[in-house]
Formats: sequence, structure tokens, C-alpha cells
Amino acid sequence: MLFSPSRLFHRATALLTAAVLLASAPLSHATIDDAHSFAMEAAVPFVEQGFIVREDYWNGEVKSGQKLMVRHQMFKGNEYAFWLGCAQEEVTFELQVLDEKGNEIELDFKASGMFATVRVNPPKTGTYSVVFSLTSKKEKGLYWALAYGYR
Amino acid sequence: MNRSPFYSLFAATALTALASASNVSAQAASSGAQEFDPRAFPGQVVEDVVVPVPSEVFSVLDKLGEPNWRQEIRTIDFQKTADRTKLSLMFGLVVAEGFVAVQAEDKEAVKDIGREVIDLATALGLIKSVRPHAQAILDAADKSDWSSIRREFDQTQKTVRDSMIQMKDNDLSQCVSMGGWLRGTASVTSVIAKSFSADRAELLNQPMLVEHFINSINKMSKDKKDHNNVADISKGLKTILAKMEGAVDGFTKDGVREIGKTCDSLLKDIQAAR
Repeated sequence: MLFSPSRLFHRATALLTAAVLLASAPLSHATIDDAHSFAMEAAVPFVEQGFIVREDYWNGEVKSGQKLMVRHQMFKGNEYAFWLGCAQEEVTFELQVLDEKGNEIELDFKASGMFATVRVNPPKTGTYSVVFSLTSKKEKGLYWALAYGYR
Repeated sequence: MNRSPFYSLFAATALTALASASNVSAQAASSGAQEFDPRAFPGQVVEDVVVPVPSEVFSVLDKLGEPNWRQEIRTIDFQKTADRTKLSLMFGLVVAEGFVAVQAEDKEAVKDIGREVIDLATALGLIKSVRPHAQAILDAADKSDWSSIRREFDQTQKTVRDSMIQMKDNDLSQCVSMGGWLRGTASVTSVIAKSFSADRAELLNQPMLVEHFINSINKMSKDKKDHNNVADISKGLKTILAKMEGAVDGFTKDGVREIGKTCDSLLKDIQAAR
């Protein structure tokens, strides 16, 4: 396990606090770091299942509805999880993983509140494309962070 | 990768093509065996590449057998130098060696590597940000807390690269990644060559990462690009890329050995005084 139960509890408390603060704060105060915090919140149940969270991640700001793509190396034999966090509320997420031929290979897409997740069992070792978008009726620009873990 | 300010936000060009990702899939599927072309992606491609840590590959090797990781630990022998390019490459190498030592669950080797991390961070002027991680590695080694050590090595590498980027040393940040990848790949090829199988060898199918490093070197400032080690790495990576791209029907044992040999030679040069 990556975190001890007490650390997990403290982390969950910190994330909950952050979420409450974020919810009560003006949206213009949202930051990229908030997006990463929500991605890490999405990672918590995966960590409990033995996923190791990578320190490196992708982030940025994107126009609502615009498609983004990240190219990423994955190894057959590992299971991967991708966690997409957003700093703003009421966002609709899309998150897919495509193989070299453009076929979808992700499992269990889930979106909830400020994040979305997918799991991936890569059928072979190689380069995959993580394609995603965030859409908001209220915000033109959205802060995002995409993190991943493996087991 | 954690980069801010952000990549060309609100890229206007992408607005001309808002086809959904499922359309992308459908187009690719309908074109038979045609490869998905990321250059034709109707949106914004995030150019940052996250380089896997060695343990991502090591964990697969563990699932496919029981490698003797202790055999893979190598003595780190680097000359004192003020050459920051060499130090950055060494830093990546040492962190990757740390992952090997964790895999071997070798407490003393981890501690030695933790001390090397401190020395290198000091030489690079980054000890303030690295010391907490290095101390955590030493403390966790006492408790044989391997998952914590793995996380700390990952954090250490990221801290150093982020600090370098803040200091406008993006090229050196790339050197850290390259040193780590070379050492990790040398270990992987060594394990695979000792107990060859197609499943194990497939782990070397990493052309995107090799291309990423080659492109990174091409974009470096002239003084970095012309650095002996970096110039040699550029040549070596091109050799490795050709091997990877030539392994259409899978890697042969000889192919794996040749990739390993190229990595070993480059690692030896990094540790040499020149």
C-alpha cells in the first residue's frame, strides 16, 4: 500500500476541506493545483486497491469542449488508471484511451463531481493516446490535470 | 508533466475541428489496419511526455518470473565534477539505480544510493529541496518500507526536474530523465537477456520515448547538444530506435542484448571523468 490508513484519513480530510473551500470560493480563484488535487482525490480508491501514483502528471487550461490528447507509453502486464481532475464545478467529462489503431481500450469510465477516471489493461506494450475533454455551460476556460497510476 | 503557465491555451486552430474522440476511433476502425495518426487529431495535442519510472517495467518483469534483482545492482562510480550536464545525467542514473535496489529489497544499497542522491543534489545546488526526500529514503530503508522508498525516488526525481525548470534549465531536466531511462533500460535488457521470452522482450517496445529523447536533444542549446555525453546519447538513441522500429515481428535475444550494450556503453561514458 502506498499510504497508511491514518495518512489516507488525513489526506481524505484535507481533500474534503479543499473541496469545501473550493465550493465556497469564487470560481475565478480556482487554480491548476486545485485540478491536480481533485485528480488525486480520484486516485484514493485506486491507491487502496494497490495502484502506485506517479508523481509526474499533465495539466493546463483548456477551452470548454475542446479535445485534448496525451500520448503515453504503457506496458502490457500492468494495469493503469488515469485520473482527470478539474478545478471548476458542473463540468461534463470525456476520457478515453485509444490504441495505435485508434480503438478504445479503456475500462470503467466514471465521472463524479470534479473528476473522471478510467482503467486500462493495455493489450500490448507501446504508445497509447489518452483523449479527453471537459465541457462547462458556465465557464469558457477550464483548469485540468491528468494523473496516472499503475499496478 | 507539471508545466505552468499552460500550453497554448485556447488554441484557436483546434476550434476548426471539433469532431468527437469517438469519431476519431470510428475513422481509424473503418480504415482497416491503418495506424491512428495523432497528427490528424482534431484537437490540441499535449506535447509533454511523462517518462515511466523503471519500476513500471520492473513490476511486469516480476509478474513474468522472479528476476534476481540483486544481480542487477551496480556500483555507482562517478568522478567529482562541476559539469552540470554530466551531474544531471548522473542524477537520473542514480535514482534509477535506487529503483533497482528497491526491487532487490537491498537496504544497504538503498542507503548508499540515498547518500549519492544527497551528494549529487549538493553538487547541483539543489540540496535544500532534495534533502527531505533523501532523508525519507534513508528513514524508510531502516524500516524496509519499499513502497515509500519507491515513491520518494519518484518524488526526488520530479523535485529536481521541477527545480531545474524553474531555474530555466529545461535541458538539464531532460538529462535527468534520459539518465534514468538509460539505466532502467539497461537493467530491463539484462533481466530479459538472462531469461528471454517474447513477452518480456516486448517491454522494450518504447519508440515514442526514444523519439522524445532524440527530439529533446535536438531542441537543446548548442552547448548542451555538443556536450560529449549528450552527443553520444543522441547517436546511441538513434541506434536503439532503429532496433525498436526493426523489431516488427518482436525482439530477438540478440536485439535485446544490443540495446543493452548501447545503454551500458552510454552509462559508462556518463560515469567517466571526461
